[in-house]
Amino acid sequence: MSRTFVEIAGKRLSLSNLEKDLYPSYGFTKAHILEYYRRIAPFILPHLKDRALTLKRYPDGVEKEYFFEKRCPSHRPDWVKTAELRHNEGEKMKVCLINNLEMLIWVENLASLELHVPLARTGSPETPDSMVFDLDPGDGADILDCAKVAFILRDLLSKLKLMSYVKTSGKKGLHVYVPLNRKETTFEDTKKFSKVVAEVMQKNYPDLVTAKMAKEYRKAKVFINWAQNDSKKTMVCVYSLRAREKPIVSCPLEWKELERLAGQGAPEKLQVLHSEAVSRAEKQGDLFRALLVKKQKFPYL
Amino acid sequence: MAEQAIWSGTISFSLVAIPVQLVKAVEPGRVSFRMLHNKDYSPLQRRMFCPEEEKIVPADEIIRGYEIGPDKYIVITDEELESVSPERSRTIEIVEFIDMKEVDPIYYAHPYYLVPSKGGEKAYQLLVEAMARTNKAGLAKFVLGEREYLVAVKSMEGALALITLHYSEEVLPDKDISPKEKESEAEVKSRIKKNIKNMMADFNPEKYANERRKKIMNILKKKAKEKAPVEASQVEEEEVEGPADLVSALKESMRKVKKNR
Amino acid sequence: MAGKAIWKGYINFGEVNLPVKLHTAIKEERVQFHLLHRRDHVKLRQQMICAYEKKPVPLEAQVRGFEVEEGKYIIVDPAELEQAEPESSRIIEVHDFVKTEQIDPVFLEHVYYLEPDVNAKGYNALAGALIEMNAAGICTWTMRKRTYLGALQASGNILRLTALRHTDEVISVKSLKLRKIPLSEKELKIGSDLINQLTAPFQPHKFEDEHQKKLRNLIDKKARGEKIAILRPRRLKPTAPDKLLQTLEVSLKKVA
Repeated sequence: MSRTFVEIAGKRLSLSNLEKDLYPSYGFTKAHILEYYRRIAPFILPHLKDRALTLKRYPDGVEKEYFFEKRCPSHRPDWVKTAELRHNEGEKMKVCLINNLEMLIWVENLASLELHVPLARTGSPETPDSMVFDLDPGDGADILDCAKVAFILRDLLSKLKLMSYVKTSGKKGLHVYVPLNRKETTFEDTKKFSKVVAEVMQKNYPDLVTAKMAKEYRKAKVFINWAQNDSKKTMVCVYSLRAREKPIVSCPLEWKELERLAGQGAPEKLQVLHSEAVSRAEKQGDLFRALLVKKQKFPYL
Repeated sequence: MAEQAIWSGTISFSLVAIPVQLVKAVEPGRVSFRMLHNKDYSPLQRRMFCPEEEKIVPADEIIRGYEIGPDKYIVITDEELESVSPERSRTIEIVEFIDMKEVDPIYYAHPYYLVPSKGGEKAYQLLVEAMARTNKAGLAKFVLGEREYLVAVKSMEGALALITLHYSEEVLPDKDISPKEKESEAEVKSRIKKNIKNMMADFNPEKYANERRKKIMNILKKKAKEKAPVEASQVEEEEVEGPADLVSALKESMRKVKKNR
Repeated sequence: MAGKAIWKGYINFGEVNLPVKLHTAIKEERVQFHLLHRRDHVKLRQQMICAYEKKPVPLEAQVRGFEVEEGKYIIVDPAELEQAEPESSRIIEVHDFVKTEQIDPVFLEHVYYLEPDVNAKGYNALAGALIEMNAAGICTWTMRKRTYLGALQASGNILRLTALRHTDEVISVKSLKLRKIPLSEKELKIGSDLINQLTAPFQPHKFEDEHQKKLRNLIDKKARGEKIAILRPRRLKPTAPDKLLQTLEVSLKKVA
């Protein structure tokens, strides 16, 4: 195994197998992955901060087995920041917190290509700082259908005086976020609210939308997964890479930009590659900044 | 396309891969009745019900379990199920071609059609025509839901029909019921052959109408004349449940959104 | 071993009147799952729920309706449906004989073995005649208050009865509305050559349900508390229409 040593902020990291191609059909090595996360770090780190990371590791690349790891790997340098969470039945568990660049590089060296985080921070695990609508196309539907649903959802939410923000899932869907950032909000609220919204959407657009999880309802429709609004669930973090053939990013888009791209009628236009994600972020800044600061209150709850 | 896809993936032979969807080829020809509540004729819906909480359980709260002891289950997720044979859950790989005449019809289980997905039309057509020309069918294994099927894919009137086959271990041996006597009287046989010859015809399934269906439809027609149909009480399907203010605000907003679009 | 006899009757046509017993020919075994409630793993039951009251309705409060227009039903009594039941009969009546290859597999539904009953004279003669003439008898019989359409055939020295689907149960290829794409003779020729190269005799014994074994393994593994690796389903890249000929040529070179 080849090793390279680097020093970040006085912490010594041993990086392994940098030449290993983890996206073999595209050609993207671990060194490329580390470089992507280094450049995107200023944008992704505020969104990862103090959230219990779920690692999704692809030690042999995206075409091979992967492992979900909620527990922070035990073989870790002593400077790795962790938090203690209560697992089900009160069992305690240490989780990783990605609060700085060295932590980010460390987990990427473990080939955790995808970074998944809960909607709440470890200090207040029952307080979601946002509400999410995970738009997932069933068989026969695609990301363009998701975009149609996203636009209706945006308009509907704005009638309720709620601003929403959208990112690509990096797979086939879209994620619409509503920033909340109020300590009074509970997952019970976000779940109740998002469920009603999803059901009203389904009722009004029965050929396009379903709010039901079961696969048989999802054919040729967009499933609005409101059940992600749960303290036990995680979402792929904005700016995270996805483990697909190509290194595609879960990337925020301006609504106007989504309209323009969807208007071209080609689903692949809505897949943002690593290089484009970096150049967009460096040019436009963090389009998801509102998720960190904007306070919004639910009406009618 | 009229039929809803049961499955979507790729069918392949050698290096050619064709995106396809699996659709139904048969539908039970029964007269379909709706079950109603005798009180007010509300329609009844089949739902999963929790006997302990006495509650309808929504789909997102249902999981799959394998029973290992009384009330003890091992939970298996969709992803885990798909991981069992990942090479076969989205691909029908034709491993070899066979002459359908060699297949004992006892192996046939259930028929489906395959239809091409976007971009696959040409390669689909090629497989249809080349199999028709060579009189061959493709043999493949693939996983659908919780089972792995051995299937024959054949050309049928310009389409691909996929027929699931039984595994040989599912075909029960017939030795124990075979006749004790092995002899057959030549004279009897030749008389039977004459009978058969006189009765030879072309197979025309339309000739044998579904008698039961006809009879039931007649009964229904007669009843409809004699008595006015009952009317079910109006139920809005799957009413949205939630805080009343929120639901009505959402409905009102939705109306506005729809109007502006 | 063939399953136990489920019905008895007589094959009847011309001067043939042959007593036989029906046996199931297929036995399927599979891993059985239950549906559970996520939070407490209580086994769920399927029930008929009143759309209005959202409560389960007991069997005795359920009635059968035929929808004549939206929301309007004709209520049908089970006794009335009995009129549609066929008269019980013990005759497997053969109406026509056809060449076996004329019956498309799409019609085949369920296979039974026929065992000669006592005094079944001519069983072997009938089986022999059907095989030699490559014929199948199209017949009807009544079992469990239903009339079945069937094909009477022979395999080896055993007679078989295969239930056939009615033509209104088979969805027509036409309804699939497939577009016809023109193909070049060259593409077809290479495609056919490739198929011929890849042809092998049908050997059903070669195949077993490996998935079933692997599934049981996974359950055992999970029961022992081991971690399950999640594998992504393999997906193939579709062959582009303009690459079809080239792909066929490369394929043929590989096998020829």
